[in-house]
Amino acid sequence: MTTFLRKRIISSAIPLVFVVFGVFCLARLTGNPVNLYLPLSATSDQRAAFSAEHGFDQSIGAQLWDYLGQVVRLDFGTSLRTGQSAADMALTAFPATLQLAAVTMVIAALGAILIGSLAAYRPNSVADRIASFLAMAAASIPDFWFAITGVLIFGVNLALLPTSGVSGGPEVWILPIATLLIRPFGVLVQVVRGAMVAALSAPYVKVARSKGAGEKRVIFGHALRNAITPALTVAGDLTIGLVNGAVVVETIFGWPGIGKLMIDSILQRDFAVLQAAVLLTALTIFALNILIDVCYALLDPRVRQAVPA
Amino acid sequence: MLSSVRRSPLLSALYKPPRSQSPAPRPGRRRRGRAPAAGLAAAALLFTSACTVANSDTGGDIGAAGGNTLRIVLDQEPPTLEPCESSLASTGAVVRSNVTEPLVERDPDSGELEPLLATGWRQTAPTTWTFDTRPGVTFQNGQKFTAEDAAFSIDRAVNSDLSCNVDGYVFDDSGVDVRATSDTTLTVTTAKPDPILPLRLSFIEIVPRTTSTEAKVRKPVGTGPYAIGGWQTGVSITLDRNDTYWGKAPAFARARYVWRSEPSVRAAMITKGEADLATALDPQDATEENSVAYPNNETTALRLDGREAPLDDIRVRKAIDMVIDRQSISETLFGELGEPAAQLVPKGVVGFNNDLVPTEPDLKAARALVKAAAADGAPVDRKITLVARNGQFPRVAETAEALQYQMARLGLNVKILMTDTAAHLQYQLRPLPENVGPIALLIMHGNQAGDAAFTASQYLLSGSPQSTFGTPELDRRVAAATALAGEKRQKAFAEVFAYQNEAVAQYVHLAHMRGLLGLSSSVRYRPNSATGDELRLAAVSRAEGKSR
Repeated sequence: MTTFLRKRIISSAIPLVFVVFGVFCLARLTGNPVNLYLPLSATSDQRAAFSAEHGFDQSIGAQLWDYLGQVVRLDFGTSLRTGQSAADMALTAFPATLQLAAVTMVIAALGAILIGSLAAYRPNSVADRIASFLAMAAASIPDFWFAITGVLIFGVNLALLPTSGVSGGPEVWILPIATLLIRPFGVLVQVVRGAMVAALSAPYVKVARSKGAGEKRVIFGHALRNAITPALTVAGDLTIGLVNGAVVVETIFGWPGIGKLMIDSILQRDFAVLQAAVLLTALTIFALNILIDVCYALLDPRVRQAVPA
Repeated sequence: MLSSVRRSPLLSALYKPPRSQSPAPRPGRRRRGRAPAAGLAAAALLFTSACTVANSDTGGDIGAAGGNTLRIVLDQEPPTLEPCESSLASTGAVVRSNVTEPLVERDPDSGELEPLLATGWRQTAPTTWTFDTRPGVTFQNGQKFTAEDAAFSIDRAVNSDLSCNVDGYVFDDSGVDVRATSDTTLTVTTAKPDPILPLRLSFIEIVPRTTSTEAKVRKPVGTGPYAIGGWQTGVSITLDRNDTYWGKAPAFARARYVWRSEPSVRAAMITKGEADLATALDPQDATEENSVAYPNNETTALRLDGREAPLDDIRVRKAIDMVIDRQSISETLFGELGEPAAQLVPKGVVGFNNDLVPTEPDLKAARALVKAAAADGAPVDRKITLVARNGQFPRVAETAEALQYQMARLGLNVKILMTDTAAHLQYQLRPLPENVGPIALLIMHGNQAGDAAFTASQYLLSGSPQSTFGTPELDRRVAAATALAGEKRQKAFAEVFAYQNEAVAQYVHLAHMRGLLGLSSSVRYRPNSATGDELRLAAVSRAEGKSR
């Protein structure tokens, strides 16, 4: 298991490094933020002074070297926009995104297991076809459209939910979570259903039934235990997608998370905050990847054995 | 706070009477299948209700604000609340005349200057103006306001190394000499006579002389009717009523700003009653019940780079002017929010030329001009990049496409490049990008100062920050007009605009724009041409018979 873990950490760390380097270089290729932060009629001397103060007058390679030196000292720079510590801004925003992703995935996983299992119990029945159709539709709906439609229907027309915002009762969570939920839920229902159809026709299920096990125990006790592994892998990938891609939801609903911080930082060419936010997100994804692999290996010993020492 | 005890609509919908009052379940009806789903929903609700959203404050969001709070939703979070940056629209919406105040203010309707922290002003020498400051005013930190604070604030904004936006927009590089001659008098001296100096000073927000001159401040102190209560980055800004305010107390004890970038959501917040004021609505989201249109002094135009072929040929520039169907664009794309334009400033701004009329489309004549230019060697098939900015105004992308189509009717090869603000600024401001070919830049210019000098100094002079070229004659005319006052000034700037159209043609004017302000039925507010940059909260009152 230790060898497996070591190999996984090394292989997962490589893309992490590429992401950090890529964001640093791509951000700087969008140009010097001087125009955003100096007055319209700033003199060339003022522009040069601004660039020198923030190191934008150096080559990208030299800026990257300086940045890496800062990162080693856990100094992630200061926001051009707010003057606050970039690391503090990223760390403050990140929990809101994590909360959103965690609640979404718990609901998506529980709902998908329930619906997927029930659909798989009688393949090609009316209930199965309806579930499959809805799951496919859910996986295909654009989240932006879903969010705006949700605001208009449930916020404005029915007046059941707030249109946006983050403070208040549990109602503030419903539209953001529903928007985030719809795609992973649709995907997971399809995955669980497929895995359960295969599991329910497997010999060990027939054996269990022949021993007199009840249908609930057959489905959730025997078949699901074996069908859950592929669902877990997909759920892990979907969670990573949520952590990384809550941008639309956070922007529309004013959710103060890392996705909105990234978008604002890109638009404001606030490189230090963008880098800190991306690094924090990449580290989280890195940790999630390791966690998923470990869970996968614990559930299926063949995975551990497949990794050479 | 009311919000802590008021039941939300959702909870009302979910609320069920106690078991003893519930009707008995109907015999034979299966209930077992509903248990997992109900349990899941309950678990989710419990989970979410147990934890507040991280990084959110607990003072109640905009949708749950208490009855004495004015709720405003902006289109973007202000990048700063520094008073010397208040010419930025989102900063000015919070700061100007709410937190800080200038010496004088311009009445947006009449154009006249009115006293604020100055009680009077006069030109005491050709290059010197003297201001009398208001006694009995204190800053929100309890410090007494004197002429020395006013002198300090002007010096800080104009002469310091802070690189204030108001410096670039309102004053030129020559700076000013400002000194307090007593507790209630100050003089401001300029290098050259400046007939509109008091108007320029209306853009300087007054701060106490204890304010940093080394760095811009995040939470400014001023003399205005509201003080900064809190700013939670990414979430909200709160203002609290200044109980020591020298003027009339505003109607609301508190104001709370949030920001939503999606205009549909801003409109929905007004409709739903979650916000009282919302900036920059889109026409498709606006109704008579949730919004009001107002002239915002913005003008849209195409700026043609006269340094690059084929746009360096005035016949090509004039042909573009002649082929654009402004009426059609205004009617179909801008709705009520655009009126065909013939100059960079709208009516009401000093220098507006009443005799200029928007060019009527004339495809035949325009094609003849391009043909003549091509005959003389102009590379009219060279690619022209039409640069526009996402979110600049409603339907900007469709406007760019309409312009591309109409220019293509002349045989011009036009490609659209949609950008964000930062990239657009690279094309907009000097130093202009090199080796990018001919650029037609879609701009929107707002003259909130009410005088054409601010437009000319930015867009018309040969070397001005936002022009690509000019002519010595145009420069001479602008300089002459800038030195004049009264009727002569009006006439001279009107002639400048006519000359631009006739002899320079750097700009193809599209439309004078109007803004859409979201306005709930629970408050009263009459927007004016300054509203887009200065959302004066003291001018907002409760609608009669309405209370929250």
